[in-house]
Amino acid sequence: MAFHDLQPVSVNDSKNGKTYIIGNVFAVYNAGPEPPVVYTWDMVKQVSVGRREIKIDAGRASYSFTNKHFRDVDDNIRAIAIIECKYKEFGFNYQHERRMFPLKSLYNECSPGKEVYVGEAVLDEGETAAAFIALLNFKLMKFLWLVAILIMLITIGILHLNIGITRSNVLYFIPISAAAGGITALLVYIITHAVARGLFKRLCETDISARHPITFVISRSGFAACASCVYESRDLIPWSEMDYFIESDKMFIFYKNNSPAAYIPKKAFEKKTVSSIADIIALSLEQR
Amino acid sequence: MPAEVRSEVITYGEKSAQLISVRHGEAAIGTCFAGYTGIGGTGAVTRLFFIGGEPISVVICPNNDNKQSNKLISIAPAFKNYDQKIYNVLGNSIKRINAGESLANGLRDIMGLLEDGVYTVYAADYYPTDGAGSFFWGAYNIPHEVQGTAEKNRFIGTKSFKPCFLVPSQPLEYFTKKMKTVSDESSKRREIQGIAYHLSGFHSVLLKGHHGAVSCLENDIPFRCAVIEKVCEPYVETLLPPPPPAPAAEAAEGEAEVAETAQPVQAAQEAPVFVPEGITGFRSPSLKVPIELFPKEMLKLVLEGRPEYKPKQFASLIAKINVSRKKTVSNNILPLAVLEKADQLPDYEMVESAYAVNSLSDEQLNCLLAGDVECKGEVIISPNFYQSIVTACNFLQFTDTKRFVDFTIAVMENPELSATHEYVAKRALTQLSSKKLYKFFTDAVASGDAQYEKIVNFANTFISRYKETS
Repeated sequence: MAFHDLQPVSVNDSKNGKTYIIGNVFAVYNAGPEPPVVYTWDMVKQVSVGRREIKIDAGRASYSFTNKHFRDVDDNIRAIAIIECKYKEFGFNYQHERRMFPLKSLYNECSPGKEVYVGEAVLDEGETAAAFIALLNFKLMKFLWLVAILIMLITIGILHLNIGITRSNVLYFIPISAAAGGITALLVYIITHAVARGLFKRLCETDISARHPITFVISRSGFAACASCVYESRDLIPWSEMDYFIESDKMFIFYKNNSPAAYIPKKAFEKKTVSSIADIIALSLEQR
Repeated sequence: MPAEVRSEVITYGEKSAQLISVRHGEAAIGTCFAGYTGIGGTGAVTRLFFIGGEPISVVICPNNDNKQSNKLISIAPAFKNYDQKIYNVLGNSIKRINAGESLANGLRDIMGLLEDGVYTVYAADYYPTDGAGSFFWGAYNIPHEVQGTAEKNRFIGTKSFKPCFLVPSQPLEYFTKKMKTVSDESSKRREIQGIAYHLSGFHSVLLKGHHGAVSCLENDIPFRCAVIEKVCEPYVETLLPPPPPAPAAEAAEGEAEVAETAQPVQAAQEAPVFVPEGITGFRSPSLKVPIELFPKEMLKLVLEGRPEYKPKQFASLIAKINVSRKKTVSNNILPLAVLEKADQLPDYEMVESAYAVNSLSDEQLNCLLAGDVECKGEVIISPNFYQSIVTACNFLQFTDTKRFVDFTIAVMENPELSATHEYVAKRALTQLSSKKLYKFFTDAVASGDAQYEKIVNFANTFISRYKETS
């Protein structure tokens, strides 16, 4: 019953003259004066929310409309929120791209309790990318050391085979091979960073709410990280839905099934409350 | 922005219905989701019926808000009093309706206080009980399962039905003898005695006319209410294939003719049932409106609306849920005659059976008495025998008292139907004017036969009550 008061969204596709209404029901007005075809969500078989398009298979028909057909981004975000709530209620097949923030189907309507911290921020791309890369470093560090040592050994081997190691040149070969290992590791690091940044940018593009104001809530009952235009004050994700968290200097990153599920920037909250927030998170989730 | 209230009459077949659309309504009267009974989004869903800033009724919807489950309803302990403006609107509306204005006009001001949406209004007789024999105004002090409050009824299925039981919008402390004296007089003059807002299943909240309900029941005046129902529940009706076309020309005589005419009939029978794309329309308990019959603007309002809104005063309503009111004990007692008469009114099971069963012929009743659930190859009521007897008994009690008496006696005389004896005897207790039943029960007690073992207590109760009343 979370997000139960979302205003239905009307989407107008001027090319084919169809108007779609996504709300308590899914309605399709075809061009012309005839009444709309209306589906309850239990008649919907599949919804796929892509980067640019939403496709809904209902009854015997299939409908699709692009993000451009929405009046504004708020409508687009609200339509996805409604679909995710209905997905929770009716269990149709739901396909979606990777998200920066948890699906609305994870939320429950409950009282946040007395100790509750609420903040709002737009995710800073640089900060989030840095956190993203920090996470990558966390995973890459051992691999980079391995690459450096391997390249160092290979370089020594090559030099030995081609020139031959003697007492007079061994002092030159060691720094050369160390430098080769270091440079290769650095190249790998730069390439992976470029890939990571690219991946992050792609992630930002797939989640339309990533570049819009987000409401962050941390309480003992749960947390929320949700576009402000759809957030209702009592909707929270229970802590049990997450597995663990990682804290960087600028963010808390919550993990579910070993992949990041929510990025909570510290700057969204007042500075003096960050330590209390960290305490609540640490009490509720395992830190890695 | 002031509320936009528009009314329109739609006609379908020979029937017509009044639809009223509300846009920019104040949402001062309505229901809203109020969380869960458990912690962290678990437990039963709780809803509130509110008027202004006051929570009126707490409705607990068990089994994860299953629409086939009865609700637990109680008067909200925090109730203080109506907002004076709303109280005046309710009072003026009932005066206007009884002064001869149409329901749509008379209720216009109340409609402006509702949530956005499309409503239907009509007048109907209500039984001022909770559906289980208790007078409604005092029957909801403790949260308990109220029979007939499920949105969907397994026996009635998708048929329309008129809600006929009540939930009060005031605690019983507000009953005063002084007010009742006034309503004793006014109820004789009025055609419409109260205003009811549909809450769930067979139950509506009485917005206005609590004292009138007491007076009407005491003086045997039908309690007729102006009823407001929201039309927002989608429904689907499966269309059967059209009947097979008549043969164009007379075929040759004999077997060939039979074979030829049999083919299209068989084909039609085997043809898949035509299921229309999407839903058929939107409904309230008493009215089904196909999509094509909806006025265009009203349909848009239904599609772009929600069944429930979060009112502006949501936070204060939620905060008041667990607050207890100071005045919880009252010396105002309802007249005993009212309580006794409430017990005699049709209960939920009777009304449900009346809607579930279209008709029962004597032949069908005889089949049931013979222990069959089928008559001429068709299931009479239900494949469950006990259920069939119970439903038949309730149906007859509601529709035809004479046949009910004959049927109950026939059931109780049949030792093979002993599983149903207790239920049927309990039902027969309400027919205190029946000489036949008195004679039957007297004979049963006198005979001391083991087959009447289960009904002896009921028989003795009936005999003593019969003697008291006669």
